[in-house]
Amino acid sequence: MHLLLIEDDTPLLEQLARQLEARGYAVAKAGDGTEGLYLGRELPVDIAIIDLGLPDISGMEIIRNLRREGLDFPILILTARGRWEEKVEGLEAGADDYLVKPFQFEELLARLNALLRRSGGWASPVLSFHPLELDTMAQQVRVDGQPVELTAYEYRVLEYLALHAGKVISKSELTEHIYDQDYDRDSNVLEVLLSRLRRKLDPEGSIRPIETLRGRGYRFNLQKTGTS
Amino acid sequence: MNSIHARLLVAATLVLAGFLLAAGVALEQGFRAGLEDALKDKLQSVIYGLLAAADVDEKGRMVLPDTLAEPRFASPDSGLYAWVLTEQGKLFWRSPSSLGKALPDTVVMAPGEVSFSRSGDLFVFTQGIGWEDDKGNTRRYTYQVAEDGAAFEEQMRVFRVSLWSWLVGMALVLLLIQGLILRWGLRPLRAVERDLEDIREGLRSRLEGRYPRELQGLVSSLNSLMEHSLAVQERYRTSLDDLAHSLKTPMAYLKTVIQDPAVSCEQLRGIADEQLQRLDHIVQHQLRRAAVSARSTLVAPVAVAPVIDRLLTTLEKIYAEKHMQVERQLAPGATFRGDESDFMEMLGNLMENAFKYGSSQVRVTVEDRDGLRLTIEDDGPGIAPEIWPQVLRRGRRADEANTGQGIGLTVSREIIRLYGGALEAGRSALGGLKLTVVFVQG
Repeated sequence: MHLLLIEDDTPLLEQLARQLEARGYAVAKAGDGTEGLYLGRELPVDIAIIDLGLPDISGMEIIRNLRREGLDFPILILTARGRWEEKVEGLEAGADDYLVKPFQFEELLARLNALLRRSGGWASPVLSFHPLELDTMAQQVRVDGQPVELTAYEYRVLEYLALHAGKVISKSELTEHIYDQDYDRDSNVLEVLLSRLRRKLDPEGSIRPIETLRGRGYRFNLQKTGTS
Repeated sequence: MNSIHARLLVAATLVLAGFLLAAGVALEQGFRAGLEDALKDKLQSVIYGLLAAADVDEKGRMVLPDTLAEPRFASPDSGLYAWVLTEQGKLFWRSPSSLGKALPDTVVMAPGEVSFSRSGDLFVFTQGIGWEDDKGNTRRYTYQVAEDGAAFEEQMRVFRVSLWSWLVGMALVLLLIQGLILRWGLRPLRAVERDLEDIREGLRSRLEGRYPRELQGLVSSLNSLMEHSLAVQERYRTSLDDLAHSLKTPMAYLKTVIQDPAVSCEQLRGIADEQLQRLDHIVQHQLRRAAVSARSTLVAPVAVAPVIDRLLTTLEKIYAEKHMQVERQLAPGATFRGDESDFMEMLGNLMENAFKYGSSQVRVTVEDRDGLRLTIEDDGPGIAPEIWPQVLRRGRRADEANTGQGIGLTVSREIIRLYGGALEAGRSALGGLKLTVVFVQG
C-alpha cells in the first residue's frame, strides 16, 4: 500500500515512516504542504496521513485541493488541537477520519487499516474468502484455518489484490502500489513473487485465488464470504 | 466630517441659513407689493382729484384749470406729473410740472379701464374716462398720472437694510444657541469618552454613573465586554497555574525514575509511557478548557440545527462502519446564545460518546421551550445510576480526573457550567445513556 505522510515535524515524520514501513506500507514522506500536494498528485497513493498544522499550505487546503482534482484515496488527519470545529471542518473538506496528537501508534495503524478496508468495501478487519482469510490487523493469512507464512512483499501483493477483489490489476499498477518510487519497473521480480505466493496459498492448485490475464494483469478471483 | 458635533453644526447652519434667506426674500417681496399697492391707490386718488377740479365751458366741454390744489403739479420736476389725452391720442392737457418731460407710451383707454405700470423711473397710473357734454355726446379722455420712483426706491432701501440686519443678527443668535444646545446634548458622549480614558489608565474598571437612555445600551454592552475579557484573562491565568502545577508532579516523578539505577530499561519504558499519557491528559484538558470563550453577550444567536447536522455528518463519516441509525428531532428555529465554537465543542463531545458507546441507534432531540433543551441518547450499555453523580460532577482538577472517562465529557461539562447550563444523566428509552443539557434563557 502506498501511503503519503505529510508532517512538518521531522523527528515525528521519520519515526512514523520507519514504523509504517515496518508494517508493510510503502511510505512517501513530505515535510511541508507544497511537497505533499505534489506527491499526492503524482504518486499512486492508496491512503494519506496529513497533519493540519503545516507551515506553508494548511492541511485543510491540501485536502480540498486533492479532492477538487478528483483524488479519492482515504485521508486521515492529524491535529494537535482536537477542537470539534477543526474536526468538522477537516471532514467537510474531504478527510475521512482524524487522530488527535499525541496518539498511540497502534491506534494510528487501526485507523489506517479501517480506512483502507472501508474504501475496499469491508467492515471487519478480517477479509474472508472461503477458504482463504486475511487478518489485516495481524497481517496474517490462513487457508482452511491453517496459518500460511508469507514474506512482507508477498503479503502486500495479496492484500492489495484481495482489497480489489474481482478487478483486473495491471502489473504496473501492482508494482506502483507495492514498492517505493525508485523500484525498477521492468524487472520480472513480480512474476516470481506471484508464482511463489500461489504455491504457498494453493499447493494443490485447487482454489486458484489469483488469475493471470495475459497482457492485462492479475485478478483476485475468490468470492467474499462472511461479513462485508 | 468625522465628528457628530461638526455634522450637526453644519447641517443646522445650512438649514438655518436657507430658512432665513427664504424668509428675507419673501418679506422683501411682500413689502414691495404693499408699497406698490399704496402708490397705486395714491395715484388713483390724484386722478379723482383732477376730475374733481375739472370744469365745464359754455358748450359743456371739459376744461382743466392751470393751477391745481396739489402744489407738486405746479413746479417742474416735482416728481408728480399728469397728462390727459383725447380720444385720438392727442395731448389735451398736461400739468405744469410735466413740462419738458417726455410722455410715456400713449395708450388710449376705454372709459372705466385702468392700468398701473412702471416705465423707466416712473410709476404710471392710467384711467379711461367718459365725459358727457351738453349735447349728450360722450367724449373719451385718458388720464395719466405718474410719480417718480426715487421715493419708492428709498423706502425699499431703508426697509431692506433694516430687514437684513435683523435677519443676520437673528442668525447669529440662533447659531450661538444651537452651538450651546449641541454642547449640552453631546455632553454625555464626552463623559463616556472621559470614563473610557480613565479605564484605559486603570483608574476604574467599569463605566459607572448615569448615562442617558440612548447610551445605556452601549454602556452596558461595553461593561459586559470588559467583564468578559477580564473573566477570560482570569480563566487563562488559573488554567496556566493549574497546568504548571499539575505538570510538575509527573515530571518530578520521571526525573527521579531516570536517575534511579535500579530501574530497568523495560520498567522505564512502562513508566515513561504511563506518565506521558498522564501529561497528555493534563495538557489537553487544561488547554481545551482555556479555549472556551464563554461569550454570551454581544454575539449573534447560533442556530442549533445546522451545528447538529454538521456534527452528525462528521460523526457518521468517522463511525461509518457502525451504520448508526440516527434519529433527529430538532425544534426549528432553536438558537443558542453564545459562541458557535464552544457550542460545537460541547455538543461534539457528547454526541461522539453516543456514537462510540451506542451499538446501533442514536437519538438527538432539541426542544425550544423556556430555554434550550438538548437530549442525546444511545442504545449502548449506559452508565450505572451510581456513577451518574460522578459523571456530572463539576470542576475537578485534571490530574485528579479519571483518565478512563475521557476528556471530552469534562470539557463539555465545563462549557455547560460557564454558560450557566445544567447537565443531567438518565436512562434512555433506547436502552443506553441519556444526557440532557438545559440552558434556561431569559
